[in-house]
Amino acid sequence: MKGIVFTEFLEMVEEKFGYTMVDNLLSTTELPSEGVYTSVGTYQHTEMVSLVINLAKQTNIPINELLKVFGGYLFKTFTKTYSHFMAKAPDAFTFLASIHNYIHVEVQKLYPDAELPHFDIERPDDKTLVMTYSSARKMADLAFGLIEGCVEYYKENVEISQIPINEDGSITKFVIIKK
Amino acid sequence: MEELELLKRRIEREQKARKQAENILEEKALALHTTNEQLKNLNENLAKQVQLGIAELQKTEKNYQELIESVQDIIYKISPQGYFTFVNSVVENRLGYTESEIIGRHFTELIIPQYVESLITVYREMIGQKMESTYNEFPVKTKDGNVVWIGQTVRLIQGENTVTELVAVARDISDRKATEDSLRATQTRLATLITNLQKGVLVEDENRKIVLVNQQFCDTFGIQTKPELLIGMDCSNAAEQSKHLFKHPNIFLAKINKILDKKRLIVDENLQMADGRILLRTYIPIFLEKQYRGHLWEYSDITEQYNARELIRKSEEKYRGIMNNMELGLLEVDNNQIIIRAYDSFCQMIGYSQEELVGKSAPALLLPSDSDDTLNKNQEERKKGSASSYELQLKKKDGSRLWVIISGAPIFGDDGEVVGSMGIHYDITERKLLEQELEQAKLIAEQARQSEKQFLANMSHEIRTPLNAIIGMTHLLFDTRPNKQQYEYLDILKTSADFLLTLISDLLDMAKIEAGKVEVQNHPFDLAGLLRTTQRLFQIKIEGRPIEINLMIDGRITGYYIGDDLILNQILLNLIGNAEKFTEKGSIDITVKQKRQDEKFDWIEFKIEDTGSGIPAEKMDMIFQKFKQINSHGHKHKGTGLGLSITKQLVEIQGGTISVNSDEGVGSTFTFLLPYQKSETEALPTTHEIHFAPKNLNGSKVLVAEDNIMNQKYISSLLTKWEIDFVIASDGKKAVEQAQKKLFDLILMDIQMPNMDGYEATITIRNTNSLNQKTPIIALTASAMLDQKSKAMSAGMDDFVTKPFAPNNLLSILQRYIGSNDSVVKQPETLAISYDLDQTSLEQLYGDDKEYAAEMFETFLEDVLPDFYQLQNFVEKKDWENLSKESHKLKPTLAMVGLNLMESKIVEIEKNAKEQANEDWLISAVNTFVAEMDGYLPTLKQRLKTLRED
Repeated sequence: MKGIVFTEFLEMVEEKFGYTMVDNLLSTTELPSEGVYTSVGTYQHTEMVSLVINLAKQTNIPINELLKVFGGYLFKTFTKTYSHFMAKAPDAFTFLASIHNYIHVEVQKLYPDAELPHFDIERPDDKTLVMTYSSARKMADLAFGLIEGCVEYYKENVEISQIPINEDGSITKFVIIKK
Repeated sequence: MEELELLKRRIEREQKARKQAENILEEKALALHTTNEQLKNLNENLAKQVQLGIAELQKTEKNYQELIESVQDIIYKISPQGYFTFVNSVVENRLGYTESEIIGRHFTELIIPQYVESLITVYREMIGQKMESTYNEFPVKTKDGNVVWIGQTVRLIQGENTVTELVAVARDISDRKATEDSLRATQTRLATLITNLQKGVLVEDENRKIVLVNQQFCDTFGIQTKPELLIGMDCSNAAEQSKHLFKHPNIFLAKINKILDKKRLIVDENLQMADGRILLRTYIPIFLEKQYRGHLWEYSDITEQYNARELIRKSEEKYRGIMNNMELGLLEVDNNQIIIRAYDSFCQMIGYSQEELVGKSAPALLLPSDSDDTLNKNQEERKKGSASSYELQLKKKDGSRLWVIISGAPIFGDDGEVVGSMGIHYDITERKLLEQELEQAKLIAEQARQSEKQFLANMSHEIRTPLNAIIGMTHLLFDTRPNKQQYEYLDILKTSADFLLTLISDLLDMAKIEAGKVEVQNHPFDLAGLLRTTQRLFQIKIEGRPIEINLMIDGRITGYYIGDDLILNQILLNLIGNAEKFTEKGSIDITVKQKRQDEKFDWIEFKIEDTGSGIPAEKMDMIFQKFKQINSHGHKHKGTGLGLSITKQLVEIQGGTISVNSDEGVGSTFTFLLPYQKSETEALPTTHEIHFAPKNLNGSKVLVAEDNIMNQKYISSLLTKWEIDFVIASDGKKAVEQAQKKLFDLILMDIQMPNMDGYEATITIRNTNSLNQKTPIIALTASAMLDQKSKAMSAGMDDFVTKPFAPNNLLSILQRYIGSNDSVVKQPETLAISYDLDQTSLEQLYGDDKEYAAEMFETFLEDVLPDFYQLQNFVEKKDWENLSKESHKLKPTLAMVGLNLMESKIVEIEKNAKEQANEDWLISAVNTFVAEMDGYLPTLKQRLKTLRED
């Protein structure tokens, strides 16, 4: 997992709970990297899972909530770092539809070792976008947060429903309907 | 403190993170640097390689370009979709399109539509099956609309897995295509020709393999296989295998081998087949640039022509043989009579050779100088296209004459015009000689016959005249009251004289009939009356004999019939006389009935049946023959043997038939059938009564011209008995003198008299302005021949009595003429001549052309008339010669003005003047002629005036 996700996660934790929580997490979670993260590095995603589980334990906030919040935070960061992606898409649907075929293609070029989730896009009608998420990382909640962040960024009024397709959550369908 | 620890850990983490990041960045930077260095090198290499590649490519491209530009073929590329992506400049030369006009267009636009589909299929297959290259030929349209045939090789250019393009090298093959086309057309034509030839054709190549064979060939040799299946077959053993088909197999085989060996053209050889057919064979070796390339056999079945020719040849031979044997000389001439061809037999006939004849004028060479225009007349016929035959005398080379009969026929040219004529000559010289001899013989015979006839006539005269006297005297002696014995002698005398007369009459009748001089004179007569008279006549004759004569007449036969009653009478007398002669006792039945009627005639059947001796069966055939008497038992009755023969002929000249039926010892039946017309008018009364002296004859005056004293006496006695005044003149001259003195009611004129015969006397009386010019003149002639009768009539006589005659005969004549001519005789003599013109003749001459008629009349009156008065001058000078000539000259002018009567008179004058026969007559005749001419003058002048007025 890219270092930026760790650094951004720790920044969000510091921002919400203070550096003490960050230190607590890093100190109490068993981490092969010993909690040293740089945005240009690459780390095992299990470290992220351990960190989130630990944070949920420390704060008594469900993991899925944490991930959704982090998704929204992460998207904001992306809008600053990778604003040129957003500039190309005029609205949220266009942007979301282009993730898999465009953004992920470009990401892959930059980071050949990146393991990216897979999205299938459907447009049953003008007001509806169906995104089917499949990833061994089972981080559909993070994806939800990111989608929320995106909608928020484009300031669009939509309703997002998250429908797990299988039990382990590796495949999840998001139905986004414009209001 | 806790916080410090926290910060320390934070800083430591951040430092570690920074160091980690720096390490990563350093690694990355190093990797980047290395990569960069590598890229830099690569780039340099690449640039170099590219430069090299470009240079090489440019060079290659240039080479290719040059190559492409230099080839004569169109080279192009098309995309798999079929669009032109490249084409070389040759295309402009070939198709007229520039490169830019082609590139971008679809290939199908250029191809002739009907070839598009097949080419698309080819391309599809190529692409589908990844075929490396194909070759195709098809026509394309040039820019100016012409068609060019293209032959192209297309190569498939492939990328990794896809076809990138198609490269084609296309060649203009129009010339080759045209050559191929014409070659194919020629081949097809020749093959069709050969296949359909009515001759069997077999073409072999130099290895004796069949190249071509037609159905006719197979038919000729009975080959069952189809011709096309024979192609390629080896013919080396063909002759051996088929030799049995020929009449002379070994000769055939040897000949074939010889032909194949020599390889020379052999035309139209006859081959006899085993089955009787005749084939005509031609061998044609085929050489290509002096190299033997096979040969052609040609067989035609000429059996029919051969047979026909054989027939013609045989027929020609036959006819030539016939011609030669018939000795018919054939000669052909053109329209100018120039000899075109002379056949051998003609040459033999005429003595000239063919060379001497051809080119010469046939008439100039062959006609004798004295020949008439027979040839020319007949050649004129030829020009009209008709044939004719004629006899002609030709001059042979040795000068002798040759009589030929020529059958000439025109020769027609191709367009049907007459181009000449063909004459078939037959030598009739011998026949001609024979003919001349025959002619001579006939002439002699004719003369002999004439002499005989004359002799008969004279004899009959010489015999009849004294006989007439004997019979006449006998009649008179009966009137002198003879005693019984004298009466008996007289009776015998009369019977004998009568028989003699019958005999002579029969002979004369026969002669007359045979000479065709018996005339059937048809006039109305009472048939039933005649039959009854005949019956009565015989009843009287057989009085006292035990014979009955019965007459049965069909109830339908009444009134008058038109026919010759005299001939009928003679037939009946002959047949009944015969019956009476041969019948001792019993009956003679005369049965007459109407057998049938047709449009023209009533056919009357007369049957005379007797109970006499009959005719033996074996003699039946000769019964009607001349001089055949079937008097089997020396019958007391004599006969001439002519009776039945005459009877038969008399029946036949009337158009009837006669037949006989007889049983010997029982009797005979003669049956004859005659056609008569039913008459509407009554017949002249006939006079069969004997010694009748009518009162109206009393006081009549008759002139008798007769030199024979006995006859004078006989006639005198009769006339005295009938109380008729008469004057006797002992010759013609005296008769004329008497006729000028006194008017008679009738003149009896003997023909043969001294000084002037009866004809001359009659002519003189008729043509002299005498009292008796119109008096009936009756000839007394011993000859009953028709020519004498007509001569008498033409001389101006009215009738004749044949000597010897019965008193009755003379009486009926006297009655007929004196009785009927009363009024005429009493007329004044001035009215005897009427000066009327012959109107019929004038109308025929002039018709309605009065002007012409007037001119002729005027000429006659002014110029010709004085010449007639000159005739009297010649008479005074007794210049008979000039009288004859002048008469002859003037004769034709008379008819021109309707003086036809005068014409006949001047003819007599001319004739007599020429003969100088009778000067006295001539004087009188000319005077009368001139006087009559004067009499005509007023009439002629009046007529001229009338014509002028109209």
